[in-house]
Amino acid sequence: MKRYFILLIIVRFSLQLSAQEWVVAPADAALKSPFAFTDSTRKAGEAIYVANCKSCHGDPGKNNAIQLVPIPPDAASVKMQANTDGAMHYKLIQGRGPMPSFKNTLSSTDLWRVISFMRGYNPKYVQEVALPTIAGAAAQNVSIKLDWNKASGQVEASLTSLKGQVSQPVAGAEVKLFAKRYFGNLPVDEARKSDAAGKVAFNFPKDLPGDSIGNVQLIVKLTDEVAYGEASAEATLAVGVPTNRPALTAPRAMWGVLAKAPIWLIFAYLLAVLTAWGFIAYVISQIKAIYRAGSKEQL
Amino acid sequence: MASEVNTDFLQDKKLDSIAADILRPVGITQGFVVWMGFLGISLMGCIYAYSIQWDKGLIVTGLRDYTSWGMYIANFVFFVATSLVGMLISSILGLIGFKWVKPIARIAEIIAVAFAAVAGLVIIIDMGHPERLGNVFLYGRIQSPIVWDVTVVITYLTISILLYFLPLIPDLAISKGRMNHTPKWLQNLYEVMSVKWQHTPEQYRLLMKAIRILLILIIPTAFAIHTVTSWLFAVTLRPGWDSTIFGPYFLTGAFVAGSAAVVIVMYFVRSNYKLDKYLTNHHFDMMGKLLVLVSIVYLYFNINEYLVPAYKMKTAEAIHLHDLFVGEYAVMFWSVQLLGLVLPIILLLFSFFRKPFSMLIISIVVLVAAWFKRFLIVVPTQDHPFLPKQYVPQAWMVYQPTVIETAITVGTLLLVLIIITILVKFFPVIPIWEMAEEQHELDHKSQK
Amino acid sequence: MSQNSKDASPDHGNLEHGSTNSRRDFFKNFGLFGAVAAAGGAAIYSGYNYEETKPGANFVRVLTADNRIIEVPKEGFKDIKVDLNQLQKQGREGLKGHRFVMVIDLAKCRNARKCITACQGAHHLRPHEYHINTLVMQESEHTAPYFMPKPCQHCDNPPCVAVCPVDATFKRQDGIVLIDNERCIGCRFCIAACPYSARLFHWEEPLMAEADKGTPYNVELNVPQRKGTISKCLFSSDRLREGKLPYCVSACPNGVYYFGDENQDSVTNGTTKETFRLSELLKVNAGYQLMPELGTKPRVYYLPAKNRLFEFKDDKDPVKSI
Repeated sequence: MKRYFILLIIVRFSLQLSAQEWVVAPADAALKSPFAFTDSTRKAGEAIYVANCKSCHGDPGKNNAIQLVPIPPDAASVKMQANTDGAMHYKLIQGRGPMPSFKNTLSSTDLWRVISFMRGYNPKYVQEVALPTIAGAAAQNVSIKLDWNKASGQVEASLTSLKGQVSQPVAGAEVKLFAKRYFGNLPVDEARKSDAAGKVAFNFPKDLPGDSIGNVQLIVKLTDEVAYGEASAEATLAVGVPTNRPALTAPRAMWGVLAKAPIWLIFAYLLAVLTAWGFIAYVISQIKAIYRAGSKEQL
Repeated sequence: MASEVNTDFLQDKKLDSIAADILRPVGITQGFVVWMGFLGISLMGCIYAYSIQWDKGLIVTGLRDYTSWGMYIANFVFFVATSLVGMLISSILGLIGFKWVKPIARIAEIIAVAFAAVAGLVIIIDMGHPERLGNVFLYGRIQSPIVWDVTVVITYLTISILLYFLPLIPDLAISKGRMNHTPKWLQNLYEVMSVKWQHTPEQYRLLMKAIRILLILIIPTAFAIHTVTSWLFAVTLRPGWDSTIFGPYFLTGAFVAGSAAVVIVMYFVRSNYKLDKYLTNHHFDMMGKLLVLVSIVYLYFNINEYLVPAYKMKTAEAIHLHDLFVGEYAVMFWSVQLLGLVLPIILLLFSFFRKPFSMLIISIVVLVAAWFKRFLIVVPTQDHPFLPKQYVPQAWMVYQPTVIETAITVGTLLLVLIIITILVKFFPVIPIWEMAEEQHELDHKSQK
Repeated sequence: MSQNSKDASPDHGNLEHGSTNSRRDFFKNFGLFGAVAAAGGAAIYSGYNYEETKPGANFVRVLTADNRIIEVPKEGFKDIKVDLNQLQKQGREGLKGHRFVMVIDLAKCRNARKCITACQGAHHLRPHEYHINTLVMQESEHTAPYFMPKPCQHCDNPPCVAVCPVDATFKRQDGIVLIDNERCIGCRFCIAACPYSARLFHWEEPLMAEADKGTPYNVELNVPQRKGTISKCLFSSDRLREGKLPYCVSACPNGVYYFGDENQDSVTNGTTKETFRLSELLKVNAGYQLMPELGTKPRVYYLPAKNRLFEFKDDKDPVKSI
């Protein structure tokens, strides 16, 4: 029995250990930044870090991370810097436990900028920039056109790139679609790859609210920034459900302003007040009448 | 109150003696000066306490975010409650035709005017920004029970003042020439206030009609004022307040408090002014019976109010009731219920206890209990909001009235006493003409 | 220490970006640096917040809406005139076409209380004055305890607004319930009426009454706070006007809060900035409202505290911690 317990404790302990390790596949860990880290990338990375990371990880090198369990490692710490660039990139994309995934909220370029900023706190760091990708496989200056196919209910994107003077379809590129909302971009459907004709078709939900005439602002982005650079396009299409709900203050209610008081209440209140004060006014007029009667008598 | 008044009583010799009896205490006496001096100086202290509150804000009270209504609001409810007795005695009992209420009616109206007037002040004291009172009239939302309350308090006060003033007019005229012992300004005031009263049948006809309108009008107004006051609590979702019988519960409670207040004033008027002839043992006996009646009705509503939720023990209600029955407020709760309600009912069933002095003692106990009863209605409910009270200073957890708060509350009571004293001292406290008329009729009948 | 003094200045706009540690320092050091803070003033309008670097300097550091710190000549600020009437008008009208909604994921709340400090910093409140508070909840003896952030529920049938005698507290077309402390008479009927204990009263002179003197009153921020009036959670409507998430939502390190627009069927997480469909989120996680049986129709939804990634540890005594 005792042995069993010890075993249990060991198992539990090792589980906990493994839980603390965050294994990154070698392929992901080997990923390298497509651009060299410079002062300007570090500066851009700082702004992103302050906005997205600092609230938990604190200021790099100051060990002022928020006291969570586990404590988020300091960006300048040995533990953090032991990650390869690729591992950092992978963890930022995936997230784990309390560490959020930035897959949908930060672009790959922005993630590399953050890594660039964090590497600024490691004097021993020497960057290895990714080798330029095989020419021809990827295209530069990609432009994207968005359209709505009413019949199929799909949003279609066509990707083209300029090669010299000729416009060519971009095939096999991964694309994501977002609908613009008040506080952020809502991912629509999943990431899809363009076909040989450079076309991508996204399933668009039938019930997504648009504006009063059903317009939705759409954003489409290429995910592989290494190969294609930062390419995105915006379009306003009537793909949503026309939404024109009345102001919440429209109906008459007990909680409304005076002008929105329930009719029966206005009526009842006025009736009661006018009745009571009508009689009071009459009584006061009677006092006057008494006075007049008395004055007449005196004469 | 008959609408036709036989003015023969004016020629009756008895009028002179009645007027002499009732007008004798009117005017400034040494006792009055001492009593008013005491009240006035005490009030100055209370006004000073209020000036501190004005300066520092409501932080000087024991109120905090959880218990944000306390002594002031309890006091407000108590004042409104007590003032209702004017309606009960002069209107309901008067219209039914009970003759014995005639000498008491004016006392009841004095209590109504004094308590209703100060009730408005009490609610202003409780406000965080009293100087913004005008906003209620500028931006008033008729959906808010506070606006209803303000409307109805003003209406009730106006009607009560008229109902005090109108039956006083003939007395003011009668007093002419019989007030040589009083200061000149008071006689002049009487002259102005008597609105050229000549005792003509026409004037009596107009007066009786006006009074009759007021007597009827004051019934719904009085019902409204206390029902609306109860709605300040009943319209909320809080256990302990969220009750459908709060209107009648408050109303019947009001009659208990008011009747006790009338008995107390009656006693002091009778003993100080030597008016045993007019406020007889019979009147105390009848008031005793009235007090038993309204107390029993109130007891019935109490049983409803506590037994029904206690039977079901819904979580939130159970916490509240536990606090009242056996918890923090148990001593106050049972003292109020037993000493202020059950015991007076039992005692007053015996005519032995319906004598003036024992009535005075019982009424004082009942009135004090009535005040604490309002406290028990207002405060404990707020102690247990739906969501837990956490991460706040210890002082926020329990409501402990402060000295300043208590002083201000005492000040409002002093103000009521001052108003009552002035009205009782400067004007005939018993309707002279009604007494004379009644006497004349009695004599006339016996002659026949 | 000089670092502290910089942090102690009223840098409200920074909160979204999590300078929440300095927020705590701010309260700690308020006594010391109150004078600095007072000198710095607390003019906050349109997300432009300024702090004085050195007393007497001709340049002021400004945090812009897109989170850049820039230096601007001091004179530039004198010209900004904020019209109280305009603030009142826009504040009472609200944002057309929106119905704001909040979703709180109880499974993620560890009672870090960053939302509370961010809120109190923005609205100039004391540590025990809450627009939002995190409560330790337990339904009954054998059910699991959990932490529950509790802002104003911005009910669609608000009992507090119904009872207000002077239209000082009101509901806007976008669903937000605000309080106008220029109008409030301090009767506290709304406190009595609110079943969620979401309102506070300024019993004493507010924390930054001195420093806020002269600042035009912004009903969407409820600053300057005023003695003898009510204050309450505003869903940070000043930030919503600029398309930004509320202070509390942005400050949360644990991804507890989602905030968005019911009309767009979307909510955005304040920590990860990820956007989700509101209907989906509520459906998948069995979202619920607080005490719906009261008929108040809250605009705040809760996701139950199941599958928590951490052990419940109540290390702060909710009764004695203040």
